[in-house]
Amino acid sequence: MNTPSERRPNAWVLLAVGSGVSALLGTLLLTGIAGCSSGTPVAQTSPVTPVTTKQPTSPSPETPALAQFHQNIQPILAENCYECHGGGKSKGGLALDKLNTDDQLLHNPDLWLKVIKYTRSGIMPADGNPPLSSQDQATLDKWIEFTAFGVDPQNLDPGRVTVHKLNRTEYRNTIHDLLGVDFNTDVEFPSDDIGYGFDNIADVLNVSPLLMEKYLTAAQTVVDQAVPNKSRVVATQLATGKEFLDATTGKDGTKMSYFTPANVSHTFSIPQEGDYDVKLEEGLGSDITFTTANCTVTVNLDDQVASKTVYPWHGTNYGSEIYPSWFETFHVHWAAGDHQVSMNLEPLAGGTKSVIAYQVRKVTIEGPTDPAKWVHPANYERFFTRDEAPTDPDARRAYARELLGAFATKAFRRPVPEESLDKLVDLAQKIYSAPGKTFEQGVAQAMVAVLASPRFLFRIEEPLAASTTPGSFALVDEYSLASRLSYFLWSTMPDDELFKLAAAGQLRAHLAEQVQRMVADPRASAFIQNFSEQWLQSRAVLNVPLSAKDILAREGITASAADDLTPAQRVALNDEAAAYFGYVMHNDRSVDEFLDGNYIFLNSTLANYYYDATYARNFPGNEMRKVDLSPGDWRGGVLTMGSVMMVTSNPTRTSPVKRGKWVLENILGAPAPPPPPNIPALEEAAPKNADHTPTMRETLAAHRADPLCASCHDRMDPLGLAMENFDAFGAVRTTDLGQPIDATGKLSTGESFKDVRDLKHILVTNHREEFYRCLTEKMLTYALGRGMEYYDVPTIDKIVKSMDSNGGRFSSLLSGVINSAAFQEERTLTTEPPAPAASAPILSLNTPR
Amino acid sequence: MNTPQPHRQFAAERHHSLERRRFLRGLGVCLALPAMESLMPSRLLGAASPGASALAGALGGARGATTATGAPLRMAFLSFPNGAIPSKWWPTGDGKNFELNDTLKPLANVKDKIQILGGLADQSADNGGDGGGDHARSGGTFLTAVRCKKTLGADFRAGISIDQVAAQQLGHLTPFPSLQISCDTVQNAGACDSGYVCVYQHNLSWSSPTTPLSPETNPRLLFERLFGTGGTAAERQQSLLMRQTQQSSVLDFVGSETRGLGRTLSARDNQKLDEFLTSVREIEQRIQRAEASPDKHPDPGIATPAGIPASFKDYVRLNLDMLHLAFLTDNTRVASFIFKGDGNNSDFAEIGVNEGHHFCTHHHNDPDLIAKTCVIDHFYATQFAYFLEKMEATKDVDGNSLLHNSMIMYGGGIADGNRHSHDNLPIVLAGAGGGTLKPGRYTQYDPAPIANLYLSMVDRMGVTALDRFGDSTGRLANV
Repeated sequence: MNTPSERRPNAWVLLAVGSGVSALLGTLLLTGIAGCSSGTPVAQTSPVTPVTTKQPTSPSPETPALAQFHQNIQPILAENCYECHGGGKSKGGLALDKLNTDDQLLHNPDLWLKVIKYTRSGIMPADGNPPLSSQDQATLDKWIEFTAFGVDPQNLDPGRVTVHKLNRTEYRNTIHDLLGVDFNTDVEFPSDDIGYGFDNIADVLNVSPLLMEKYLTAAQTVVDQAVPNKSRVVATQLATGKEFLDATTGKDGTKMSYFTPANVSHTFSIPQEGDYDVKLEEGLGSDITFTTANCTVTVNLDDQVASKTVYPWHGTNYGSEIYPSWFETFHVHWAAGDHQVSMNLEPLAGGTKSVIAYQVRKVTIEGPTDPAKWVHPANYERFFTRDEAPTDPDARRAYARELLGAFATKAFRRPVPEESLDKLVDLAQKIYSAPGKTFEQGVAQAMVAVLASPRFLFRIEEPLAASTTPGSFALVDEYSLASRLSYFLWSTMPDDELFKLAAAGQLRAHLAEQVQRMVADPRASAFIQNFSEQWLQSRAVLNVPLSAKDILAREGITASAADDLTPAQRVALNDEAAAYFGYVMHNDRSVDEFLDGNYIFLNSTLANYYYDATYARNFPGNEMRKVDLSPGDWRGGVLTMGSVMMVTSNPTRTSPVKRGKWVLENILGAPAPPPPPNIPALEEAAPKNADHTPTMRETLAAHRADPLCASCHDRMDPLGLAMENFDAFGAVRTTDLGQPIDATGKLSTGESFKDVRDLKHILVTNHREEFYRCLTEKMLTYALGRGMEYYDVPTIDKIVKSMDSNGGRFSSLLSGVINSAAFQEERTLTTEPPAPAASAPILSLNTPR
Repeated sequence: MNTPQPHRQFAAERHHSLERRRFLRGLGVCLALPAMESLMPSRLLGAASPGASALAGALGGARGATTATGAPLRMAFLSFPNGAIPSKWWPTGDGKNFELNDTLKPLANVKDKIQILGGLADQSADNGGDGGGDHARSGGTFLTAVRCKKTLGADFRAGISIDQVAAQQLGHLTPFPSLQISCDTVQNAGACDSGYVCVYQHNLSWSSPTTPLSPETNPRLLFERLFGTGGTAAERQQSLLMRQTQQSSVLDFVGSETRGLGRTLSARDNQKLDEFLTSVREIEQRIQRAEASPDKHPDPGIATPAGIPASFKDYVRLNLDMLHLAFLTDNTRVASFIFKGDGNNSDFAEIGVNEGHHFCTHHHNDPDLIAKTCVIDHFYATQFAYFLEKMEATKDVDGNSLLHNSMIMYGGGIADGNRHSHDNLPIVLAGAGGGTLKPGRYTQYDPAPIANLYLSMVDRMGVTALDRFGDSTGRLANV
């Protein structure tokens, strides 16, 4: 990370560039963000305070920054904060009145980040003191963002994303788009480590020898599977038993009873006269193993009998699970035109009406067998552009270069450096020149090298102009932008259209329409799933342990095995979150509907789960359908979704604390700090003298009696208790342990509510801005693959402002993210020399910190 | 008319998949092994070895990772999550006269091959002003003995882990410098433990303070990595050779590409690419070693495991079988093994515990939850015993058992899961370290960092020039 003293002067230098950027971006916005950067008086008078060296602490004259602090900020702090953080008091180790130097004020982003977060979310001022006036808050915000953080409002700091390794979802999708092969990385690769709540964080994705080995194996496997290793093979046509039909009964050849006469056939269209091999794979099958029976099957090729076979069924001889297969091959000379292959089954006496079957598994026609009439193998044209590789060594090499250049450019998602291409061609040549090797094998092995290259496995970005001043900001080049877009919205590589626009330098000029196209594309389901399932943590429902016995016992129900969650239910519950998110995105609804939407999504499984089998008949299949709810319904929005209710529960009961914490972290963006060590257990704090089993509410109330606990639980518990009408299975309930549920409460910010339905309304009216900010932070984190830093606050604010003025429409969030400096630009490299590597002999490792 | 015959115009073939599938199904429970000696690489007893430290020499290991008899010396760290109920863990008696308590009863058959070590602590996992997150800290500190940075992402940092200290000095002796195995396949969606990035909970081994080594979780992939792909020994040998040839052709290119990138990247980028390049180099070196001694690919002569078994017990045992095979065939001498990541909250319905493990450990003195936690503690100890018995039943090249020629540590960075304490950790050290350890005892030490034990272990492995590790205060004497 650059230090502020390095950053600031460069921001000055870049002002001209920066405004150019803004103008450019302004034309691309789907919604009007451009206007937001006006109205920053601080910026007009003194946009950035240059600080080049550390100032001595005391008697020096006041710098402009210090003067501004004393004049505008200190009074606000004195009025609102000094009661605990001034005048000799330093609650939490913080005395705000002791900040007196530029160094303390301007090189202290962690502190100011806390101040801005705590004041905005109403955590501070604490102990029932009123929040800052909106005017004071605005003044404080501006000062922190543009002076304390040193961000130039005209040229927001984009930060820098570490070189980004493809995670296993991105790898799988990219391989699929590049080679047409589905390689199941969920099985083959270790799971990705998660940072900031997401699995695509550049800093957290590592390479180990194990993983490197897996990349090598994967590259070899997918190339072996996808890329033909010779130019000519005998042509084949294939038909499975399903395609063999009985003209009278309409039944197919997959399971032909020993006891029913049948004649199934399939007609192959033969393109040219020649010798052909007709290869049959047939089998036997039975549901029981001890009956004996026989049948005769006659194979006819057109009207000629090719074979006539008695198939005996010997009961247990073949075992019960895997049935024997037989293969037959017939050589024929066929004229061009239609040719029929048929199997006629005649029952023989004996046996009972049990299910013994003759099966047509598949029939393959290979030919013409004359090598002169062989054809290209499947997929040949995908990787090889000519009918045949030239024989002349130079021409051969030139052709290999052409093929590998095209492939590597696609795989690297940017032009391949000449030097790299030379090496690839060398590699291919070395192999295809070896005895017994084909040209295709050489090229294929070089393609393996492409897929093991860091240029493929990492997203390597470059600034637009090579001449950018070191240590400043620059737009990322259009190839980088294409990849940023495609990995953000599709979790895969750019498609041809994006790539061509980037190559022509036209992507930014067509950004808005491209984003629209990408969002409408089916590949956007990758974004919907990967983002929403991680933001809401609904994905955890696939594995969360829940004990039906204990959960239902609290409601007086004796659980049966049928009450345990099935895998299908878990999948449906997870899909619900994505369906909801997808609806809001595709219909450009307001994100407010995440909080208090009056609809839900159901498929057959989920309708049955939430309601009953009768109602579920309205929702055939797996497809999620929108259901509008009547006013006052308990459900609607993400807060009370089954998956959310479950992943925030303990295995045996609800956890209002976890639910409250979930809301703070994922909706309000103001996480509670972790609990102090050795806290008394909830149950130990429960009131002892009660005449009944203490309710969850009473237990938590006793817990909050300890002021140490209260500071955070006052914020969490009311939110969680409001959701007590949902049990740990996400079902609506009215009692817990035999007592009626009391879901009333009062937020630490003062609003009272009677249950979660009220709460949803309060959140969306009084806490909308916090929610917008939280959702923006989450999406920006996912889009960039990095955590949010202090210098991102102005970027986030700008997006939130735009959402506010667009009624929270989803498109305003999405375009805000895509058009942000953080997404469009990057910090360029500083010129600072790398730290010298230590080379002292190892004597002591991991010296305690 | 004719009846189906094995041969027609086209070579007919009976499918043998049934027999094969049946065989594989039973594999999780019993791995049939051929005669052990045939698996021993012939080079072992006469192997040359690098210079050894005076200390290692004094302890009997005149050569790196080698016992006095010339057999390989192995070291493994097996970690189970969430601590163990202390009152059921600690034995009664002391020294050689001790009685196993309920949780460790499964180890009765190997009681004289283990040491139960009391008094060891992982203080780096203590709160220390970092607040909650003891499970993440235990994971990140357990083998590194250094505080891990509290962060959600970008700047995570622990330390090199003790197994990697050994692997980096001695790894050249075997095809794989070390192995990392885990039976924990699930990454938490969203956040991990209280403000910590997930890497601390899912990785035990760290090759540098910023490079966690992701473990292999799939026994099939682990097997194929060690022995090659294919249904027969010959096919597997063939695939290993082919893999070497193919990888050599590619690695050269990959290495030069990576070095070529460095010029245009930031320091942080370069750190990522360094990890990448280090990995490339390790594979290159492995291929070079394999090419130098082509006789060192013993095949276990068993079928490739089908994948991850549905039952957790079968799964754990299959992965332990793989570790046993890796040691037996001298594919590696250093390993770490994660039963489940610390803080894991999986249920144990297959042994009658429907609640999550982590949930049970916070039992708040509820006898029912304590009992359930004990069931899980006992389960893990049972799997450990399975592994030790297997190691003990296998004869090594020098006629001793594999267990005799090993140091297998079993434990975790949390002592009492209810309190998140990190002192008096539940630690068992199994094996005789090739005759340098004194098993068959229960010792309650004066409180000492567990790093002291690590130093005593790597001394025996022949690691040189390591005076201190993490928060160590010396060597653990009398082990």
